[in-house]
Amino acid sequence: MPLEPVAQLAPALLDSGAGPAASLLGASFREGYVGSIIAVSLYVSLTAVALSTLVSVPAAVAIGLAEFPGKGFVKSVVNTGMGFPSVVVGLVVLFAVSNQGPLGSLELIFTREAMIMSQFVLATPPITAISLAAVSGVDDGVRDAARVLGGTRIDVALVVIKEAKYGIATAVLAGFGRAVSEVGSVLIVGGNITSADGISKTRTLTTAIQLEARQGRYETAMVLGAVLVALVLTVNAIVVRFGDRGVA
Amino acid sequence: MLRATGVSRSYGDERVFRDLTIDVDAGEVVAVIGPSGVGKTTLLRTLALSLEPDEGTVTLDGTDAWAVDESARLALRRRVGMVFQEASLFGGSVARNVEYGLRVRRSWSERIASLFRLSGAADAVHESLEVVGLADKTDQPADSLSGGEAQRVSFARALAYDPDALLLDEPTSDLDPRNTAVIEEAIGEAKARGIGVVVATHDMHQAERVADRVAVLLDDGITEIGPTEEIFDDPADERTRKFISGELVY
Repeated sequence: MPLEPVAQLAPALLDSGAGPAASLLGASFREGYVGSIIAVSLYVSLTAVALSTLVSVPAAVAIGLAEFPGKGFVKSVVNTGMGFPSVVVGLVVLFAVSNQGPLGSLELIFTREAMIMSQFVLATPPITAISLAAVSGVDDGVRDAARVLGGTRIDVALVVIKEAKYGIATAVLAGFGRAVSEVGSVLIVGGNITSADGISKTRTLTTAIQLEARQGRYETAMVLGAVLVALVLTVNAIVVRFGDRGVA
Repeated sequence: MLRATGVSRSYGDERVFRDLTIDVDAGEVVAVIGPSGVGKTTLLRTLALSLEPDEGTVTLDGTDAWAVDESARLALRRRVGMVFQEASLFGGSVARNVEYGLRVRRSWSERIASLFRLSGAADAVHESLEVVGLADKTDQPADSLSGGEAQRVSFARALAYDPDALLLDEPTSDLDPRNTAVIEEAIGEAKARGIGVVVATHDMHQAERVADRVAVLLDDGITEIGPTEEIFDDPADERTRKFISGELVY
């Protein structure tokens, strides 16, 4: 199946949810439809992963360095979290942000913030679990050395994070991969909405692909899929490059 | 200066040693000899204030390290250095490793500045590396060193912040004669600087070469401690005599 350039696919995308405003969208698609989808996807996924990293990495270091009863159980729970069905996560977040839910007053339903919440929940277990494995793999001798050389608990933790940086980078990439490729929960809590001028409000690459494929516009879906893969590869390359520069 | 008095230590139900007393003064080298698995490493960790003894006290210049609060204990711990059997170097350059002990003693603002340069520590780093003959390796990645070089960097790392006491756990057990000689010379340099050195070794010849006093650790305690010549030539304890002569095999 030959792939057409994205700009030539405008007619296929114009009626992909904009409804009555479709006639207005000829120029809008070329100007910003795909770009807005990419922007929303990156904004939601990167924000969710950044927030998750801020929580997951310290949690992984704390669990990895501490000795306490039930540590094995905690690790099992974290590992189990990697298998959370995304649709169930979406349902739970939808309930939380719905009018009747505990966060209803914040009016987050069908917003990017709700999508960030659901992706945060999905990204946290893999980032924590893989970071924990990386931290646990750091040689005990290195921790001992940091301590006997006068390091505080924070100093020891920083040394461990530095030694485990490749594993932690892998964890962040895995979390990003899970977030950016997620369909079910963002569809439920985000609603796959575009504005009247065809610019994405809560439509992501994955939900757009799902919509295009369902409507039989396979070329469009495949082009968006290629964009998604390119995005993941780009973020991967940036993280790996960043990790390499941190060696010295 | 650094003294453990009547210390006992167990891991679970397994007693490592009991009622053990040992001390080291400034500018003195004390060797702890004994067979593998007798508790030399545990003793050194206890002296390094990394392990709390089940019983007894560990004092540095008369201050009981386990009777003070955590911040005071950290201050005491920072006056003691330790080198392990394995070098356990951090990732990064040789200089970053040697600078570590100095870095953690600085304020956070100074430490952030030192991420970009070896501020104020370059002389100490260079001087410590010179002691172990590796001043030309300052910028080399630590993971590119040979085992012997890594151990010498580990020694320089502990020497850089000028500790009052230096504890060496089998520092040459995996090294060739050349690297062993460098480490033994460095022990002499530490002694000349007024540092009290405790070196755990199963190499009795090494103990004879470097130590002013020798402690013999057998079974679950020190059988004898005294001047090196006296321990090797005229031991008072029968088990010491048998161990040194090779009659007591573990």
